[in-house]
Amino acid sequence: MEHISKRFGDFYANRDVDLSVARGEVHTLLGENGAGKSTLMNILIGLYQPTEGKIFLNGKEVRIESPSQAVALGIGMVYQHFMLVEAMTVFENIILGGRNSSGIFIDREARRKEILELSERYGLDVELDKLITEISVGAQQRVEILKALYHGAELLILDEPSAALTDIEVEGLFAIMRKLIGEGKSIIFISHKMREVLHISDRITILRAGQVVTTVDRAETDGQALASMMIGRELSGSHYEKRVSKDRPVVRLDRVDYDKASKHNGLNGVSLEVRQGEIVGIAGVDGNGQTQLAQLVTGVIAPQSGAISFDEKHVAVFDPSAFIESGVAHVPEDRNLQGLIGSMSVADNLVLKSTGTSAFSKWRGLLLKKNAIGDYSRKMAQRYDIRCTSVDQDVRSLSGGNQQKVILARELESDPSLLVAAHPTRGLDIGATRFVHDQMIAARDRGVGILLISADFDEILEMSDRILVIFEGQIMGEFSGENPPIEEISLAMTGR
Amino acid sequence: MSFVSNLLLATVRMAVPLLFIALAELYSERAGMVNIGLEGLAAIGSLVGFLVCFISGSTWLGILCGALAGIAVNMIYAVATVSLCADHTVYGMAMNIFAPALASFIYRVYFGAGSDLSQIELMRGIGLPVLKDIPFLGDLLFNQTPMVYIAFALVAFTVVFFNKTRAGLNYKSVGEHPKAAATLGIDVIRVKYLACVICGALAGIGGAYLTTCYSNTYSEGTVAGRGFIALAAVIFGRWSGGGVLLACLFFGFCDALQIRLQVASFGLPYQFFQMIPYLATIVVLAAIGAKKAGPKASGKPYRREER
Repeated sequence: MEHISKRFGDFYANRDVDLSVARGEVHTLLGENGAGKSTLMNILIGLYQPTEGKIFLNGKEVRIESPSQAVALGIGMVYQHFMLVEAMTVFENIILGGRNSSGIFIDREARRKEILELSERYGLDVELDKLITEISVGAQQRVEILKALYHGAELLILDEPSAALTDIEVEGLFAIMRKLIGEGKSIIFISHKMREVLHISDRITILRAGQVVTTVDRAETDGQALASMMIGRELSGSHYEKRVSKDRPVVRLDRVDYDKASKHNGLNGVSLEVRQGEIVGIAGVDGNGQTQLAQLVTGVIAPQSGAISFDEKHVAVFDPSAFIESGVAHVPEDRNLQGLIGSMSVADNLVLKSTGTSAFSKWRGLLLKKNAIGDYSRKMAQRYDIRCTSVDQDVRSLSGGNQQKVILARELESDPSLLVAAHPTRGLDIGATRFVHDQMIAARDRGVGILLISADFDEILEMSDRILVIFEGQIMGEFSGENPPIEEISLAMTGR
Repeated sequence: MSFVSNLLLATVRMAVPLLFIALAELYSERAGMVNIGLEGLAAIGSLVGFLVCFISGSTWLGILCGALAGIAVNMIYAVATVSLCADHTVYGMAMNIFAPALASFIYRVYFGAGSDLSQIELMRGIGLPVLKDIPFLGDLLFNQTPMVYIAFALVAFTVVFFNKTRAGLNYKSVGEHPKAAATLGIDVIRVKYLACVICGALAGIGGAYLTTCYSNTYSEGTVAGRGFIALAAVIFGRWSGGGVLLACLFFGFCDALQIRLQVASFGLPYQFFQMIPYLATIVVLAAIGAKKAGPKASGKPYRREER
């Protein structure tokens, strides 16, 4: 692939990317979330059309306009979320779409023989007559690989194939991968798990922010070098002064478990505390339990074991409104889904949490004081720099940055003791990001304890007074926010 | 004996229009399209079938045109839901409101308001040689209009198509997991449009059957909720050809029974008997509705370059 670019609106998901994969090698694409790995592969598989650039296969230029063309060219992909029809059997899934067989009817005997031959040759052990729902995740993955091979794949793309597997299954997967390249197939392996990357790759291409950093041979590199290229920055120093808080903790989690068997959606023995007037940053790749952590601390879900306390008071009832009353403010990870009601006005969204107070209503919320709400909203719009034509405008019609400011205004004006901010600047431009950060620092200086959850490593480094790293639901280590050891942290983020 | 054989004979005749309409829905849902607009499709089919037959004198031409009308109306639904990713329920409902009204409108425009009931000659039954002489069963199954044979042949075809053919397997995968189907080179959009064509045609035929093979007139409400009963039959029949056949026979039996009971009277108002098929529908859906096992991606829009 040469000079591949893909633009979504103004946003470059890939910019001038070169990638070459040799026959018989495992070529790894390494990068953070949003580095453009999946977009690049979707181009190769024909799901997306590149904005610019060319693709060559065996020296010949090809245009891949649809997945079926990619299949015909011998490119097969095993998606992170399997593309298997659950209501059908393994056998039916493999022959689905099959163009390398003719006739109206399915020649079960002949197809079976072909599949069994393939499965024996590559050690892909599957039970053909079971339904997809009846087999394990590891077996489903073998079905996916077998399906790709059955359709004639020479180049196999494995998108985070180990994400859903147990350690033993991962070993099995690697054995299969070695067998495949031994037979002259090529593999593009997508991952951000350092240990696996070092274990299986022949060459490694590092992507960052849609661009190729470099391509290196496995033999010439090590984990530290890869991690710093993947995160990709020198220590630039923070704009903000870091502080060490010795005040009392506003929230404390003690060995909290939630669905701990799940690596991506659970928490496993998490202990942490946030003190008054400090920002604790939770660093980690998306989908390592951050969502659950935020939901726990805001009372959306209850821990399965362990304890949570606010201001040293043990919490027994898990209910968002009780948490709000004890002074927890929340900037949620998805502002459209959880933070705002899109079809309601800016003003209404600003007072959503406080309609029961005497400032905005008579008789505890029975009758709203529209004028007071309007005046208050205009004041907030000014203080928080919310750019809107009127506070009666639907909040949906604002830009992402201004929407986030509405949330921030509502949450910070409730005079919280704890602010839980999940990805508070995701999708925001530099100006809006800066504003949100300034407001958070100001809140900290007023004595608010802030739990900052972010997949943006820059943001964590910039803001945090203390940094905790989360990986597969576990806290991997605690680091100081002052002169943080970047390489150590980025290694911890990949589970080392 | 004659009560029973008449009842069964009526069952078959009542089941056939349901069968066409239910198969229409089966083909639609197997490609992920929940089409609740069957009632409307059947209504336009019944009118066009009747009208063409009235003008041309050919029941066959009537049925053909009924199918074409069903396809034409269903294309509105197809464009809205497949290409524009609109909500299936909303557009299905829109067709249920629009198509019967359109049918009545055309009828009034052609025949004028308040005119006498126009009648056509029904399609004649054709007895299959030898088979029709089998005692009891012969009259029941082999001395019917060709449409009855076509309906049953269609069931057999459907069973083979979905279970034995490559095309059928690919077709089903679109209703289950369109993204997976697309990655394997199946043209999801084309299959969905094809499904809408089949659905429109079969529902139109179902409607046309009512006016050209069953009652020889058209009136508002000819379809009488059969579109919805057919919808229930697909669920009751577990989205399979054989299941749909049994479900339609069951509902057909209920329909036949209520007519027989009406004739027999017992001094009860006839409206009570008329309720039987609809009550049966409610009871059946309540009993089996909980375990939904239909195509996974049914009713969900399919977008290609989704991020």
